[in-house]
Amino acid sequence: MGDLEAGQKDGLDTTKDGLDTTIPEPATIASHSRRKFLRAGGALVVTAAVIAGAREANANLRGFSSDVKLEKPLLSTRKTGKPAIPALEIVVFNRLAIGWRPGDLEAFRKLPGNNAEKLRSWLELQLGPEKIADPDCDAKLASLESLSKPLEVAWTDYYKNLDEKDEKKYQKMGIPTLEARLATVTRMVYSKRQLLEVMVDFWHNHFNVHPERDDSIRPTFMSYDRDVIRANAFGNFRVMLEAVAKHPAMLRYLDNASSNRAGPNENYARELFELHTMGAENYRGVGRQRDVSGYAQGKPEAYVDDDVYEATRCFTGWRIDDNIDEPGFNNTGQFAFFQPWHDRFQKTVLGRYLPPDQPSTKDGQDVLDALATHPGTARYIARKLTRRLISDKPPQNVIDAAAKVFLEKKDAPDQMKHVIRSIVLSKEFASTWSEKIKRPLERFVSGLRILETDIKLNEDMLWTTYYMGQALFDHRPPDGYPDYREAWASSSGLLRSWQFMNGIAQDWDEKYQSGVMKTNANRRKPLEIADFWLERLLGRKPHPLEIRDDLIKFLADGGDSNTAISDDEALKWRVQSIVGFILMSPDFMWK
Amino acid sequence: MQHINRREFMMGCSAAIAAMTGSKLSSLALAEATGSQTLVTVFLRGGWDALSVLPPLDGKDRGFYEAARPTLKVPVKGENKALELNAQLGLHPSLAPLFELYQAGHLAVIPATGMPSNTRSHFDAQEYLELGTPDARTSPSGWVTRFLTGTKSGNVADLLSESLSLNDELPTSVRGNLKAVGFPSFDGFQLADDAEYRKFLGNALTRLWDGDQWLQQAGMTALRAVDTITKINAGEYKPASDAKYPDDSEFSKSLQTLARVMKAGLGVRAATVDLGGWDTHQYQGEKAQGYFGNLLSELAKGLAAFFTDLDGLRGTTTVVVMSEFGRRLDENASYGTDHGHGSAMLVLGGSVAGGKVYGKFPGLAPDQLFDRADLAVTTDYRTVLLEVMQKRFGLKNSLDVFPNFKPSAALGIMK
Repeated sequence: MGDLEAGQKDGLDTTKDGLDTTIPEPATIASHSRRKFLRAGGALVVTAAVIAGAREANANLRGFSSDVKLEKPLLSTRKTGKPAIPALEIVVFNRLAIGWRPGDLEAFRKLPGNNAEKLRSWLELQLGPEKIADPDCDAKLASLESLSKPLEVAWTDYYKNLDEKDEKKYQKMGIPTLEARLATVTRMVYSKRQLLEVMVDFWHNHFNVHPERDDSIRPTFMSYDRDVIRANAFGNFRVMLEAVAKHPAMLRYLDNASSNRAGPNENYARELFELHTMGAENYRGVGRQRDVSGYAQGKPEAYVDDDVYEATRCFTGWRIDDNIDEPGFNNTGQFAFFQPWHDRFQKTVLGRYLPPDQPSTKDGQDVLDALATHPGTARYIARKLTRRLISDKPPQNVIDAAAKVFLEKKDAPDQMKHVIRSIVLSKEFASTWSEKIKRPLERFVSGLRILETDIKLNEDMLWTTYYMGQALFDHRPPDGYPDYREAWASSSGLLRSWQFMNGIAQDWDEKYQSGVMKTNANRRKPLEIADFWLERLLGRKPHPLEIRDDLIKFLADGGDSNTAISDDEALKWRVQSIVGFILMSPDFMWK
Repeated sequence: MQHINRREFMMGCSAAIAAMTGSKLSSLALAEATGSQTLVTVFLRGGWDALSVLPPLDGKDRGFYEAARPTLKVPVKGENKALELNAQLGLHPSLAPLFELYQAGHLAVIPATGMPSNTRSHFDAQEYLELGTPDARTSPSGWVTRFLTGTKSGNVADLLSESLSLNDELPTSVRGNLKAVGFPSFDGFQLADDAEYRKFLGNALTRLWDGDQWLQQAGMTALRAVDTITKINAGEYKPASDAKYPDDSEFSKSLQTLARVMKAGLGVRAATVDLGGWDTHQYQGEKAQGYFGNLLSELAKGLAAFFTDLDGLRGTTTVVVMSEFGRRLDENASYGTDHGHGSAMLVLGGSVAGGKVYGKFPGLAPDQLFDRADLAVTTDYRTVLLEVMQKRFGLKNSLDVFPNFKPSAALGIMK
């Protein structure tokens, strides 16, 4: 992941007296402040020589003892209690957007009406992404060659027509996937259509595809992102389900492309039930179909293995138009139904009898119909989306209401907009806080957004997301990245987020230049600086409040909180440090 | 035999088997005192094909096995033949390094292990096994967490850190332990390279994160872990005696990290290590060769090196190898196997009464199979784990760890 310069000095050493404060220990901190310890996509590699000398004497405070064996654990003593629920706009931009850019909060506050009206009008605006002009983001994406290539063109350019002997064949094949990753991160950071990006992320995880699983997926992944996920993010679930089922990326990822009547492969059918629609909560294992409650009425409340096997038969012959030597096949990379592979006999799925010899894809369509309108699916999707938008412990009444809307609007082209409204406009939305934390990708994006850090479209930023623990479109199993807080509070995850946040505050990495001092403008008084950055980065007071005092004391360095810091170097070191502190604090993580 | 090249494998080969690959040391719990017992759980994610791991060697079962597995059967004679555990069962030839440990009496083998749940879903099965509550997913804690609290001898407050998890996503088995720590390896696991700046940041972060909410607690745990690991990590690591960890194996790297922490004198009580890639729906490999054999080889070489490296800690360390289920008896049309039921467990350690097959192989006749398709389960995995906990850790009440479970008599795996 890149080189390291552990402990290397870059010639800017300037030891200044009097920079130590209540927070740091020694007065020599400044001499190390400019070391570029965060390099090459956040890689940070241990150098034995540096650490060998790290047995700090007299450091037995708050658990940082010098012995390997810590006698006294660092158990927390401060009773902080839960953080207060912040203002509505903070909730909105943490959960319906991926953080905010300077000015976003003010713009929300200036919307007409009371809070409920502001939320409603902001939401409606975001639910019509096509009406939001996004020139800055569009300009960033202009250099991506595969961005708008139709599936068939991408298949031709990046797969079919590649020369076997081309040394760069492998790289070329991966261009659409690489660019889909770059485009997605770029949109998360720059796009004004933030709720769309939140939903795109939701659906990508819901209908997870790992493009590196097969060479033939990689050329099609931009199309999967654009034609399946983005096109349907606010649309109709049934339509989306079929778009997913028929896309070569999913057909290949879950093996349905090779499933045929002689050798059926249940991989897709199983995940279709368990992950895409009804969820494991509605799975009854082995058991007989007719023993499931509601079966006699044609409405079984759950599914069993036999439903998976029968559905597998329904989808036999759903494959890719690739280079198979059969009439009607043209190697376009599109979906193809191949009759000779299809199991033509009768099937029973979810209490529905499907007669033999139904025309072409009718068997599969019937399964998708049954699943997309099943109350279990409505509850499963509603719960998952409520968990995403409100809390890891999603309130049952919000789930129930959203599931009801899901079923009522099952035929609406904008079904998901109705479901989203139901969740966001619930009273629980704005009255819930700190039940969730930002996932690493959200930490990365929200940090860049608030500091207005300029990023370049290259693989480096993908490495950073990898290093932080949540590489984009890189989750191999079909269940998507987890969406509960415990999964993202591991020590390495927190450590890497701290490293990244501190790095962008200090401009340590040439790839992430934030220009904190430019934003700080002519502010020189500790109190003024602390309040300016707390408001800018958090939009609120820190929790607990005494963190504000800590920041002021650190800035003042024993001096008066209203006295300007005269030395430019000292000012820079202290301001960049407190920006790092705020971004590394729990307040920047809660959502 | 071709080596597993993970990149080539992930990029090139068939779709199905790439799920759940990779390895990580996924959790690690430290004791209040050194010299304690250590339980290492190796979880093979994806459902390993127990019938290739422990193929029947003789009799009717061999007949059923060969008929069901024309391509995938492990041969009983010639090149790559199964290693003979007893008259009935063999060991896959790629597990040769473990066979040596079996012969030396350090490795016990238990066929047909599993749980009463009939799920064939990876996610369900892993969840149930790791929570320790088959068919129920409501438990707020995993079995490792309950094992740690159930066998605690000292004061909770004296524990340095109850559970370090060497993983970005904590495994379910340590759920409910907010002191669980995650990191994939030692690389980069420190706040900064420079000692003084590191201390500066550590103090600042402690000030920012000190608090009683769950996120703050997770942050404090991270800070403590960072501090500890930074110190353990000082200097080069040289494995003991002739331990040879394979160079290109993440799994071996995880085990080596674990050995290093154990030897640092912190007293590791429990650790979990993941090795994925067992979901072999396609092209599993003929005649005990190919993909599956390579993966078994990675497992065996890693465990053998780890056991050697443990040196003086062998007697107090017990390694349990398990997977969420086995695979179907019949191979499929893609030369792979689909999700099945009965699995197999291995128990390795200096205090294991090894060199023996424990439990009962249920047979492969249609009526003997689970759902007439898969190897049945004859030994509940909890019975195996409880014997280790009771004999090595002095666990008194098994219900503390596995609620609502009435274990069968101990198999006698532990000395």
